[in-house]
Amino acid sequence: MFDWTDRQNNDGGWAYRKGCSWTEPTAFVLLAQTAAGICAGAQRASGPCAGKDQRAFEAGLKYLFSVQRPDGGWSPQTGVAESTWVTALVAMLPEEAIGAERMKSALTWLEGQTGRESTWSYKLQQMIAGNRDRFPDGWPWFPGAAAWVIPTSLGILAFERALQRADSRRLRNRVNSGREFLIAHMCADGGWNHGGNHALGRDGDSYPETTGIALTALRGDTDPRVIARAKSAARRHLASCRTAEGIAWLRIGLAAHGEIVPAPLATLPRTTVDAALIKLADSHPGKNPLLI
Amino acid sequence: MNMTRRELLGAAAAGAVLTSCGKSAAPAKLVRHFPVSNVSITKAPAYDMSIYDTIYRIVSDHKLNVRGKRIVLKPNLVEFEPGTVINTHPMVTHATYEAFRKLGAAEVKIAEGPGHRRATLDLAEAAGYFATVPKFEESFTDLNLDEVAKRNIPGPVSKLKSLYLPHTVLDCDLLVSLPKMKTHHWAGATLSMKNLFGLVPGGVYGWPKNVLHWAGIAQSIVDLHHLFPRQFAIVDGIVGMEGNGPIQGTPKQAGVLVAGSDVAAVDATCCRIMGIDPAKIEYLQLARGEENLGETAFHQVGESLHTVRTPFHLIDPWKEMISL
Repeated sequence: MFDWTDRQNNDGGWAYRKGCSWTEPTAFVLLAQTAAGICAGAQRASGPCAGKDQRAFEAGLKYLFSVQRPDGGWSPQTGVAESTWVTALVAMLPEEAIGAERMKSALTWLEGQTGRESTWSYKLQQMIAGNRDRFPDGWPWFPGAAAWVIPTSLGILAFERALQRADSRRLRNRVNSGREFLIAHMCADGGWNHGGNHALGRDGDSYPETTGIALTALRGDTDPRVIARAKSAARRHLASCRTAEGIAWLRIGLAAHGEIVPAPLATLPRTTVDAALIKLADSHPGKNPLLI
Repeated sequence: MNMTRRELLGAAAAGAVLTSCGKSAAPAKLVRHFPVSNVSITKAPAYDMSIYDTIYRIVSDHKLNVRGKRIVLKPNLVEFEPGTVINTHPMVTHATYEAFRKLGAAEVKIAEGPGHRRATLDLAEAAGYFATVPKFEESFTDLNLDEVAKRNIPGPVSKLKSLYLPHTVLDCDLLVSLPKMKTHHWAGATLSMKNLFGLVPGGVYGWPKNVLHWAGIAQSIVDLHHLFPRQFAIVDGIVGMEGNGPIQGTPKQAGVLVAGSDVAAVDATCCRIMGIDPAKIEYLQLARGEENLGETAFHQVGESLHTVRTPFHLIDPWKEMISL
């Protein structure tokens, strides 16, 4: 089994496999540790949280604090001078761990991000080409690019967590728009790929991991017929999927809709993110920060 | 296909309305000249043990100075689908690995950053790389998750000014592109140059690498090509893909390996083998100019073009637009 502390870099962050720290694996390890009961915030100073896991958690937070960018977002790694989608992962951590001010600036940065297809120039271009589609706001991986399923799903989950702390019409609108984006990009088979569900007259096939992530983000007041189709696709993927990441996200996605499924087979975590996702999928839905 | 040529051109024209804003006149045509380069065409009928000797001979014959050099092999790994021809065959990659080792390279790495799937190692395993390449994980780098550095693009053709790129490829002495010979529903054909999209780190730009699409697919291909002046290519055309490539097409046996240091010339030669006019492939036009893509622009060695020509089925509207 993965020992987080053994794999932690000296700067407090985690690599995908080895090498420099990245925001994504660091945030996922901290989310997995949160699901495992590591305490954050006021509880940290005393109480039951102690030992090396707690110290690893604190060091991981310290790393994230040290690399937050002035615009409020996080870059994928320190070599990249641009805030990106990984900001949503950090914003899913407990506010008491991140701190109210840091969380506020992260959410503000996220709120300012939409896919390029949300811009007036793109909509005009499409109108000229005779495309009458709606273009609901999703989130891009990288500023200036189109919105895609994974960053949109993570943006929804981050805003859902924020909405539990305090209601906000603006954030609620972005969540609804993001869900509309996901539904518009559902594949004909009921699941999701990255977002190209139809090209040159052909239907695109869905992927396990993207289906699981989108299903997780659609928890709540989504059309039950959409969810039924998506769950059916998730079950189909689960029967054949062999990747740790895919299986974990499918289990989390189904758990988000009340269906607790054991892992169909023991998978090999290839990366730190895989290992953290397995932990999250194995955790009680009431403690999983992706599902609370 | 539901998308007609008119729709494709209409969409392109709509894009042009926006992208041409602020431009006053078309630039004067620049006539460029390229040295005549060698492109080898070698028959290879099947994925069997003879590939090891064939590829060793190909690399030797090109007289590359690889002794003591750091080599990165870049196959094309795209999808899990078993029994398809989406990915570069692992024997082609392994035979190239062995050839460079035998010729005295100090280090040979295999590296790829798939554009659709995040689980790169699982994808490599499903594509047969773990079973074919001994200690595969030790020689492999996932370019999507490698450490990166920013590189400015000198005289960009696309809208990109710079790109973050993985250290593994920035630090190598020779980048060897090992693509599958495939048709491509957005670019016409995907060969050595288009294969370079896999160098762009998903860990930074996401999956798919959408910044390249917004910057112009053909133009980004050319910019990436210019960022890596020391390249070699061996195109896996033993069994390629025709029709709706690069994923949903069907297998097409061409029985060839096409190689050379001038990768645009390699791609142009592959196009001719596939029954595609290279001058109609936008990224080749941009990279070399139409006048440098003719049949006599390169020195073809090995098999002659007409003995290996195997027209690939092209979907509409490409059939009308790029067929030879």
